[in-house]
Amino acid sequence: MKYYKNKKIILIFLIIISIVAITFTLHNDFLYPKEIMKIEKIEEKDSYISRNTLGFPEKYSIKKIEGTIMNGKNKGVTKSLEYEESYSSVVTDKYRVGDKVFLESNSIDGLKRDTYIVFLVSILVILLYLVGKYRGLLTTFNVFLNTMIFYCSLDLYLKGMNLLLICILESLLFTSISLWIASGSNKKTLSAICSTLTSSLLLLLMTIITIKITNYQGMNFNEMSFLTVPFEDVFIAELFIGSLGAIMDVSITCSSAIGELIEKDKNITKLALKKSGKEIGKDIMGTMINVLFFTYLCSGLPLFILAIRNGYGLFQYIFNNFSLELTRFLVGSIGIVATIPISLLITIKIFKGGKKS
Amino acid sequence: MNVLLAILLLLLMVYVCGMHGIKLFLSIIYNFLITIIAFYIMAFGVNAIAVSLLACFIISRIVLFHVNGENIKTKSSMKSILIVLLLLVFFILIITNLSRIAGFGYESFEEINMFSYDVGIDFTNLSTALIIIGLIGATIDSSIAISSALYEVKENNKHLNDKELFQSGMTIGKDILATTMNTLLFAFLGEFMTLLIYFKTGNYSFLEIINSKTFAEEFIKIIFSAIGCILVIPITAYITSKDLVKESKK
Repeated sequence: MKYYKNKKIILIFLIIISIVAITFTLHNDFLYPKEIMKIEKIEEKDSYISRNTLGFPEKYSIKKIEGTIMNGKNKGVTKSLEYEESYSSVVTDKYRVGDKVFLESNSIDGLKRDTYIVFLVSILVILLYLVGKYRGLLTTFNVFLNTMIFYCSLDLYLKGMNLLLICILESLLFTSISLWIASGSNKKTLSAICSTLTSSLLLLLMTIITIKITNYQGMNFNEMSFLTVPFEDVFIAELFIGSLGAIMDVSITCSSAIGELIEKDKNITKLALKKSGKEIGKDIMGTMINVLFFTYLCSGLPLFILAIRNGYGLFQYIFNNFSLELTRFLVGSIGIVATIPISLLITIKIFKGGKKS
Repeated sequence: MNVLLAILLLLLMVYVCGMHGIKLFLSIIYNFLITIIAFYIMAFGVNAIAVSLLACFIISRIVLFHVNGENIKTKSSMKSILIVLLLLVFFILIITNLSRIAGFGYESFEEINMFSYDVGIDFTNLSTALIIIGLIGATIDSSIAISSALYEVKENNKHLNDKELFQSGMTIGKDILATTMNTLLFAFLGEFMTLLIYFKTGNYSFLEIINSKTFAEEFIKIIFSAIGCILVIPITAYITSKDLVKESKK
């Protein structure tokens, strides 16, 4: 009964924190060095229709936007400016009364989005707690910790350290923290950590060899063109980090299943273990690959539409512009599939040791 | 390069699970075709949200029924996934409308400046469609994990009623929650690294990053994938436990 009460208290606590955080983002204009304007009036002054070479009509409207400055030395001053918005909002936004926008030299420089970000994070944390209870809280903590490590470690890269080296070091941290949090300190975790690291390093080696053989043939790095640093190097690091989570998932699933089997039947043979391990791997592989597939592939949608509406052919586009997303997906999937035998091998070694059975 | 990687993947799949591997590889190709066809239909100006929902329905059918076979487990999963999609569609639509994440942020201008922006398609709907298609993979993954585990539980303990089954479903759910979150987190970090390096070289502050459209777009996408896979856990546990009990009474 007491435990039940505690649960409710934590839930209420989380909700209160969320509400406080959301309210704070509604009133945190003073934190920003850029001027923020709250839109109070929008009037349409003019509109025209423009057509591209294929004849698709696009409605543009020129709007007069009035609002009050919320921060800085001009706080309280009313300002009015003109803004041109398009029906498609490919590069413009559709603003409404009540929105807060950033100003840069008297023109609008994007919406203030922090409230929505904080709102969604709150929903996620509360849902994680409702479904996962204590484990959900730990997961939240883990995600937060890993993101922070990731965010801060990139500073080292900017100071001149090799990016790949940083990522390999990071992966040690990520793997031990996440797996330890996910399943505690025991043999299962140990073997999952070992197999994750082995698999991801092997995967990295494979990626580099493939790249050396094909020399990025058929790849289009347009998507990363805004980087001022060599983006081929960044891409390898991204592939490595991107597949790490999936590899961890497979490793921990395999090692807990094997651990479970050994616990139930101490005399089970290595051969039998391998067989059931493969069976389990088979079950999780398909859906795991799907997670990566849809997470990566959907990112290409806006560019795809833009290209098709500009007269690009379907196949021409797929081969030219989907290449990065496809590579991310393929490398991740290879990681998932290859981890199954590797983690079986390592887990059985760790649990059964050198014992002949 | 991708061709070589695809061949490698196929070989590995066949090595690890034999004939089943070929079936899986085929299902990836089907999914790819369906996604591309769905994108293509959207490019013709058909309502993107409707197209994406239909695509998700077909994709779930393929992943569940083609790969895992049509049975009580996959049927319960299918129902739960549809419920989650319908629940989330409105929520996603509201958020994409409010947060104005449609289209491209300043960071991508260089990438798209060879195109004309006069395309006459509402990119707000496209963002919603993108999020829906993005979350279907993670949602199917958790759902099938719960329903097959519950099926095994029921097989081994025939006497369990629906309440007890639901409870064990939630316990299993807790186990998969942490690892699925990890998969999503690192997939996101891998994709986000380009952007973060850009932000850091351009001396963006943390506040500037979270308010930028390019960041918000990717972030909201991954948050919804996470929400989808969390929501589907209790729903699948509930539906599967009811279905299993009903089935055993027949």
